[in-house]
Amino acid sequence: MSIDSLISRAMRGFREELRLYVVAVTSLAVAFLCLGAALLALQNLGAVAERWGKSGHITVYLRDGLEPAEITRLAAVLEGLREVDHVRVVSSEEARAEFLARTELGEEVAELGAEVFPASIEVGIVSGVTVEAIEKLAARIGALEGVSDVESYRGWFEQLASLLSAGKVGATVIAVLVGFCVFAVVGNTVRLSIARRRREIEVMKLCGATHGFVRGPFIVEGIVQGLLASALAVAALAAAFFALRAELNSAFSIFVGTEAVFLGPGLLALLVFSGAFIGATSSTLSLRRYLEI
Amino acid sequence: MVSNRESRGGRPFAFFRAGARVGAEGAERPILAFEDVYKFFGKDQPALRGLNLTIERGEFVFLTGPSGAGKSTLLKLVYRELTVDSGRILFCGRDIARLTDRSIPFLRRNLGIVFQDFKVVPHWTVFENVAIALEILELPARLVRSRVGEALERVGLSGRGDERVGTLSGGEQQRVAVARAIVSEPALLLADEPTGNLDPTLAVDVLTLFEEIHQTGTTVLFATHDHGLIERRDHRILSLEQGRVYDVRRGLASWSSSGVHAVREARRAAG
Repeated sequence: MSIDSLISRAMRGFREELRLYVVAVTSLAVAFLCLGAALLALQNLGAVAERWGKSGHITVYLRDGLEPAEITRLAAVLEGLREVDHVRVVSSEEARAEFLARTELGEEVAELGAEVFPASIEVGIVSGVTVEAIEKLAARIGALEGVSDVESYRGWFEQLASLLSAGKVGATVIAVLVGFCVFAVVGNTVRLSIARRRREIEVMKLCGATHGFVRGPFIVEGIVQGLLASALAVAALAAAFFALRAELNSAFSIFVGTEAVFLGPGLLALLVFSGAFIGATSSTLSLRRYLEI
Repeated sequence: MVSNRESRGGRPFAFFRAGARVGAEGAERPILAFEDVYKFFGKDQPALRGLNLTIERGEFVFLTGPSGAGKSTLLKLVYRELTVDSGRILFCGRDIARLTDRSIPFLRRNLGIVFQDFKVVPHWTVFENVAIALEILELPARLVRSRVGEALERVGLSGRGDERVGTLSGGEQQRVAVARAIVSEPALLLADEPTGNLDPTLAVDVLTLFEEIHQTGTTVLFATHDHGLIERRDHRILSLEQGRVYDVRRGLASWSSSGVHAVREARRAAG
């Protein structure tokens, strides 16, 4: 089959069904936009999970009556550990003041003395250390002289991790569902256009056209529709993302500790080409019943 | 047998052009032969029962009979929309019942088919409707233009290539269908009630057109139940009933089949 004939027949299809194609491409673009948004959410949740999973923090409670020199020495020991990023010594008075500043209990607790609040060393862990490694580190610190107790916040991190993991699963399920919807929308749109042109297919078959000759322009049309729709969706998603990014970051980055990121080039290319692939596949599948003449 | 670039290209079915000279072996062979053909649409619904008939190269044959006699079924078996249940159908000596699905398009390139409902694409132009038969053969655009022009001239639609087919009258649409059927110069022209949707005058016009095409060497198999149309033509008439040929005769030999006389007379008869 000549390429010229293929292209000219596909162009004729576009011209004749222009209105249908505009509607189809718009519908498909909306479907791809949903898919893109789900992927974007998935990617950012993944980034947050990774950031949080690797940003640890340990509180080392000190034994009562520890001398300032001993506390300074212990802080120096802790700061020298490979996994430790920084340390901050919190005296009993400072701990009491921080507690009172945060609590709303008022005068009832204001009478509590500083001895109720143990002195501690807040240990910041370098980025990239896993929860398991932090747990081992906490056990090692707990064995040091002058240490009363160590809080590694493992339970909190595990809850957070399970929350993020649930979010990722949810976003993945949505992405898969939207993917099916995209396939169904593309398939039905192409099927509608093919049904409208069944006389044309019948005529070609009766004149001796091979399946390939009949299929060719429809597949080209499916590819172009899918490409256009996914490219439009990516453009709309990018426009919305970059327009709202500053506000999103100012609203959420304090809590999540990471800035929103857009889909990477690989994922964008995958999204656009999946549009073309879905368009071509839908055309091929939809044509099958009309080729049996 | 005449084979051209289609057969040279290793295609599964050779291409036989209408009116072309054939070799000694091919000349002796009928263009179409049905040998004990059965076709059933369900256990107790035989459409054709042991059909035997032969159509010679260059013949014009009317196929007639009441509705349900098997005329359309017979034609569908030839262009392989249907497959025989038993028996053989030989087209240019080749059993088309045994063709693979891949070969069917190449069989159909040897056939021109005209239907009662025209089967034209209404939103295409006249030119596009006719040209599609040549585009399928992958002929160069220049050749497509000239041959479509010739075909349109033969059916009386010269200069109307740019008109949308949907805007034409029924008779004109059928002419477009005829032009599409003959533009590739097929060896065999099949017509399935091509005048069924036309008024008597247009019916005679279309029949005359088929006769003119036949005179250029094309074999024509023309199915119709309109006895008034065919009795005054000097062609073989095969009557089908209940899936069998029950009568074979000729129309009035005294009537000219050259076209012009027949048209005048039929028009007079139609009132």
